[in-house]
Amino acid sequence: MENQFSNLYSVILDTYPIEGKQLTKIWRFFEYLKEGRLTTTKCIKCGKVSYPPRIICPECLSEKLEWIDLPTKGTVEYFTELKAGVPVGFEKPLIHAYIKLSDSFDILSKIVGIKSVDDIHRGDKVKLKVFDVPPIPAEIGRDKINIDRVYFAFELDN
Amino acid sequence: MRDACVVAGGQSKWGYRDATLIELFQEAGKACFEDNPHIKPADIDGILVASACSERLSRQTHLAPMVAEYLGIKTSSVCARVELLCGSGSSAIILAAGMIKSGLSDTIMVIGGEKLFTPQRWETFYSQLGSVDHDWDGAQGLGLPPSLLSIVFQRHAALYGTTEEQLAAISVKNRRNGLNNTKGQFRKEITLQEAMSAKPVAAPLKLYDCCPITDGAAAVILTSGEAAKDFTDKPLVKIIGTAQATESNSISNRGNWTTWNALKTAASRAYSMAGITADDVDVAQTHDCFTISEVIEYEDLGFCEKGEGGIFAEKGLSDFGGKVAVNTDGGLLSCGHPFGGTGIRQAIEIAKQLKGDAVHQVENARYGLTHNFSGAVVAHTILIYGRD
Repeated sequence: MENQFSNLYSVILDTYPIEGKQLTKIWRFFEYLKEGRLTTTKCIKCGKVSYPPRIICPECLSEKLEWIDLPTKGTVEYFTELKAGVPVGFEKPLIHAYIKLSDSFDILSKIVGIKSVDDIHRGDKVKLKVFDVPPIPAEIGRDKINIDRVYFAFELDN
Repeated sequence: MRDACVVAGGQSKWGYRDATLIELFQEAGKACFEDNPHIKPADIDGILVASACSERLSRQTHLAPMVAEYLGIKTSSVCARVELLCGSGSSAIILAAGMIKSGLSDTIMVIGGEKLFTPQRWETFYSQLGSVDHDWDGAQGLGLPPSLLSIVFQRHAALYGTTEEQLAAISVKNRRNGLNNTKGQFRKEITLQEAMSAKPVAAPLKLYDCCPITDGAAAVILTSGEAAKDFTDKPLVKIIGTAQATESNSISNRGNWTTWNALKTAASRAYSMAGITADDVDVAQTHDCFTISEVIEYEDLGFCEKGEGGIFAEKGLSDFGGKVAVNTDGGLLSCGHPFGGTGIRQAIEIAKQLKGDAVHQVENARYGLTHNFSGAVVAHTILIYGRD
């Protein structure tokens, strides 16, 4: 029987971060991402590099942080495909890879742009892929505005 | 300081249930009171409710006074909810023990559970994107962690030669242990062959390597050593060691994937507090949300050498008659895993083992241990129980 929830079940979870300088102090991460840069924050006082980006240094609590670039290319060390329980909003195949971006930085990221898990192998080179995600309809003062958003994954670097 | 003792425990039937969250709590509370007829709701002065997903999946917050009302409990010392995802129940037991030992409370019901099979079950997977670091790991589609544990296994296999057959031996053992557990989700034995040929969930992890989605609740009553003697003639089951350790949360900050340092930290503190070593543990309920988790837990709890967890399982050293019986009631793999209920279910089984009341009894068990990890394998919670 049709009812008000037939097409819109009564639960929504925004699967992407709050972006936009009206809403977050780390908005530059997303602005840099739009330029194809993967960045994070480094403490000017003690040199600690943190990921995800911060507004205070977890080592010395300084607020004096600078933005630095992380590598956007890396190597697949391990991967898997989630076959059961793929969350709503994520396309199949949902493939995750443990990627070595540098000697000191690894990331577990979604791999996009392949049709099957058979298309990825240990040792494959991958690169950053930035894509649009749904904007946030935000109330800023009395105005309602759409805040454009992007997010990232990795894709094969052929 | 006073002792904190477990004097009653009970749980609802776990599985895919025809009941709401508050109904599951009522079933668990009733079962707990029925376990020890000497204790009445009027004897309880505090309640701690462990639940991780009640807002998302049951549209309900402010749980503790609600559960108290439904169980006829009027509190005077503490009335609050505790949340640490899969470690919520054990966290609440630690806090209750602290309240009782310090004298801030006298008798506390710790009750925990979840309603995870909502009318549309995709909600559970979807909602778990908010239990890892939502903006950085959840946004990558990493919620409940089979993908993460698949990679943990691949790394453990590369370093130590751990095999898929060794993982299957754990699922076979825990399914067998759960066979006569009338409250568990699965009561069917599986063969090694069935485990090995099951469909992949996050390859190489297969169906029987992963615990299910579960509705259920469980409750225990804790009281002081003095009061416990009024409530029971059985040997007193005391909480003698507790620890909770975490080193990082975001997946990018994990450090070592195959040696869980926070688990080692927690184990060392809990053993030291209890005045025992890993060799003294007779029975353990560890967090077997995935078979590979149980392998690493043998190692980092000190039941075997690093890298030998797979062989430990294969040789039956974690089974009855082995070195330490692990997940004697079937574990998460058989009982299921309603997050806030799990640590309490573990406490109930350990208390039964130490009193000599278990369905599958470890002979003359004196020391029992429970362990949970929560989130993306980031927080580790350990309790050690001992009897007089």
